[in-house]
Amino acid sequence: MTSLEDKFEESKKLGLQIAKESEDDRLMTLSVGPQHPGSGHFRFIIKVDGDYIVYCDPDPGYVHRGEEKMCEYRNVIQNIPHLERPVIHDSNNITYSYSLAVEELVGIEVPRRAQYIRALASELNRQVYTLYWLAIYGIFLGHSTMFMWPTGDRELLIDLLEVLTGARVTHAYNIPGGVRNDMPDGFKERCLRQVRYLQKRFKEYEDIFYNMPLFRQRTEGVAVLSKEDAIKLGVTGSVVRASGIPYDIRKAEPYDIYNEIDFKVQYMKTGDCFARSYVPFLDMKESCHIIEQLLDKMPQSGEVRAKLQPNPKGPPGEAYRRVESGRGALGYYVVSDGTPKPYRVKISVGSFRNMLALPYLLVGQKMGDMPATYWSLNYWPVEADR
Amino acid sequence: MTSAGNFIKAIESGSKHLVIKRFTFRYPEQKLKFVGDGYQFDPKRGVGIAGYRGRHILFHDKCTGCQLCAIACEGIAEAIGMVKVDESWKHNKKAIMPQIDFGKCVFCGLCVDACPFYALFMTNDYELSAFTKEHLIYTPAQLAIKPKYQGDVEIVIDGRGATHG
Ligand code: SF4
Ligand code: SF4
Repeated sequence: MTSLEDKFEESKKLGLQIAKESEDDRLMTLSVGPQHPGSGHFRFIIKVDGDYIVYCDPDPGYVHRGEEKMCEYRNVIQNIPHLERPVIHDSNNITYSYSLAVEELVGIEVPRRAQYIRALASELNRQVYTLYWLAIYGIFLGHSTMFMWPTGDRELLIDLLEVLTGARVTHAYNIPGGVRNDMPDGFKERCLRQVRYLQKRFKEYEDIFYNMPLFRQRTEGVAVLSKEDAIKLGVTGSVVRASGIPYDIRKAEPYDIYNEIDFKVQYMKTGDCFARSYVPFLDMKESCHIIEQLLDKMPQSGEVRAKLQPNPKGPPGEAYRRVESGRGALGYYVVSDGTPKPYRVKISVGSFRNMLALPYLLVGQKMGDMPATYWSLNYWPVEADR
Repeated sequence: MTSAGNFIKAIESGSKHLVIKRFTFRYPEQKLKFVGDGYQFDPKRGVGIAGYRGRHILFHDKCTGCQLCAIACEGIAEAIGMVKVDESWKHNKKAIMPQIDFGKCVFCGLCVDACPFYALFMTNDYELSAFTKEHLIYTPAQLAIKPKYQGDVEIVIDGRGATHG
């Protein structure tokens, strides 16, 4: 047998151009997104060696709108409609922490009934987001029933929010000082009826999706994020809870009336894709209990909106407040120089932190596990770009 | 449970839905029913009245041309412009009233919150499609028309599931 070197020599004599395969030739560079169905205005560049991913570089920024800069040109109330655009499915939570921060700056006392109503709206809205996220997770894994069901059942909650706030997705409901309007008559019964039906449906979701052996095989033990790594990477929300850390802003720094509500922080220990997909679902179930408690404990009447001057302004200062959104901790840092317009607004979103875990999790995975890993991170590209 | 059992359970759960009425409904033959006549605002109490936030309605007999709605919208969508009207009202000396561009409006309702004279409210009408951009600009006269929206579909939940009526 002639050796490989001899063959090269021979080919050179014959005038053939055969080069040795180098390391780079083995790897193929792929660009996933920005128009990948599901990746949603987000691209990550991966290098694959055969079926294995050996390199991953997330490339966000396709939908950067300059929300933070826009805040500096509007007064605190006018900021509400554009601040909810980054994540319209969770628009009550993204304006919630903004309202909390501005209230602290301006020094507004929020009526108790308003605190309950906005907590209720944000719980409903978090479920709307999670159902949408779950629907996309289903279609990512080729489970089209799991795409249809949550998309349909979302309507029950959207209907509630439409009755309460007046809009189906972009509610503009929280404003500094409370909520825009009181609950309409008969809302409590309507809410309980539809949320109880949803709880029954969750049982069926477990049958068809979470307990399905096919789904389990695709997600169990895939892309494990250990407890230590989760802390080091600074992930948040359902991702950190799936890695065995029961950290929830609603418990850790209770805002508004959450210290009066009795609920458990849902978490799992395994840290794999299954845990990351199951924890938001457990959160949704817990959220149904929170909604029932909120409706129960709510003061039956009273103010829902603190009276403000047309251009609310406070003394110069700064405030940082955060809430638990569908994707984790969502914080606003607002600096005021004493004028009605904020001097600086910085949004700290959960999506961006969770995205940072993507390169760590994807390297060493098979190509086929990429969608399951990517969407399990509970990442919303538009919110991360702000 | 064994994995075969889980498969059977999943199929059983799914196939139940073959006999359940579907959740979707036939728009535009059927339309959703709304609670109330649309979002309104009570400037005396400083709080809104729950309702759907569709296109606006302007009451010419109340609007004073104070421009507060236009100022509120300036930082949001710049959808409101003040235009001259051929009407003479005692309370509206300048004879100007808001005109709304629904190509820009985001239906936040903050202009309604700004109006101190109960002149600008919102209605249940969300069917605003037009062939050109210019047709989306509603003049004060168009805004005064009460919409003829009629919807009667509601979510019905019974023992077999949720449907739209
Ligand atoms: S609803 Fe909002 S965007 Fe539309 S005209 Fe009124 S303030 Fe402007
Ligand atoms: S609609 Fe109201 S706010 Fe706008 S100009 Fe008329 S009175 Fe003033």
